[in-house]
Amino acid sequence: MPQQALTEAVYYILLSLQNPLHGYGIIQNVSELSNGRIKLAAGTLYGALNTLVDKGWIDALPENPLSRKKEYVITSSGTEILKEEIARLTELVDNGKRLMEGK
Amino acid sequence: MIKRVYKLYFIWQLDKEEVWINEMAAHGYSLVSCDRFSFDFEETEPGKYKYKTLFLRGRYHDKKNMDFFSFLDEVGIKVTSYIQYPGTCCIYTRALAEDYPNGIDVYSDIDSKISYEWTTFWYMLFCIILMSAGGLLNLSMFARHNALWILNYAVALLCFILALMCLIHLIKTLIKISKLKKERVIHE
Repeated sequence: MPQQALTEAVYYILLSLQNPLHGYGIIQNVSELSNGRIKLAAGTLYGALNTLVDKGWIDALPENPLSRKKEYVITSSGTEILKEEIARLTELVDNGKRLMEGK
Repeated sequence: MIKRVYKLYFIWQLDKEEVWINEMAAHGYSLVSCDRFSFDFEETEPGKYKYKTLFLRGRYHDKKNMDFFSFLDEVGIKVTSYIQYPGTCCIYTRALAEDYPNGIDVYSDIDSKISYEWTTFWYMLFCIILMSAGGLLNLSMFARHNALWILNYAVALLCFILALMCLIHLIKTLIKISKLKKERVIHE
């Protein structure tokens, strides 16, 4: 079964978690990656992180005793999903360019 | 110095309450705690904080809610106060305005917004059923012409008015959900 499209929020969260990051770091990173276009709200991010952990696409790292902030990182299955999504998006863009620009 | 203000907001007026609390903060009075009828403000630099009020399912101390609050805390949003109702709680959060200059948005995607509105919808439905039952019970006592018939009549009337107000809010919530669902067909 072909993979369903990821939401923009999930796509950018997965992209941000190539390296371990905590919640606020993800919000900042997503904002930077999207040139400020996407402002992830805390409740949305919290729901998405919990769902992604349940799906096994990201891992919550063991809590650092020096910091109360929980960090997350992408898993190998999350990386696979991200690659499939990039392929899907590339197809969308290629088709769009081909038809709109007559290429 | 703490400034106490007595004011009554009904449960369906949470958005209006949020606007008022933000206006107070803009004038240098930042909310530190509240209960059903009173609000305590501390004097701060005008506009230092932005406030956001929220409905959450369950009890304030439920683990699910406490995990959410600690996540909010990580991103600079702190719970300043709460009011517990049966089955739900109203949360009063604040963040530094320099971190959230456009106000605190807790939900940025349509699905989360719809899910949040459903929380409001079910709680309003619960209130309508509760108020209507209270109204009918008092009305049946009133019909028996007991000694306290005036009290029964007044309580029944009050219950029906409250149920009607909740019904109006429930309809507004349904309209909001419907608009969000239409939006979701086109946008994420």
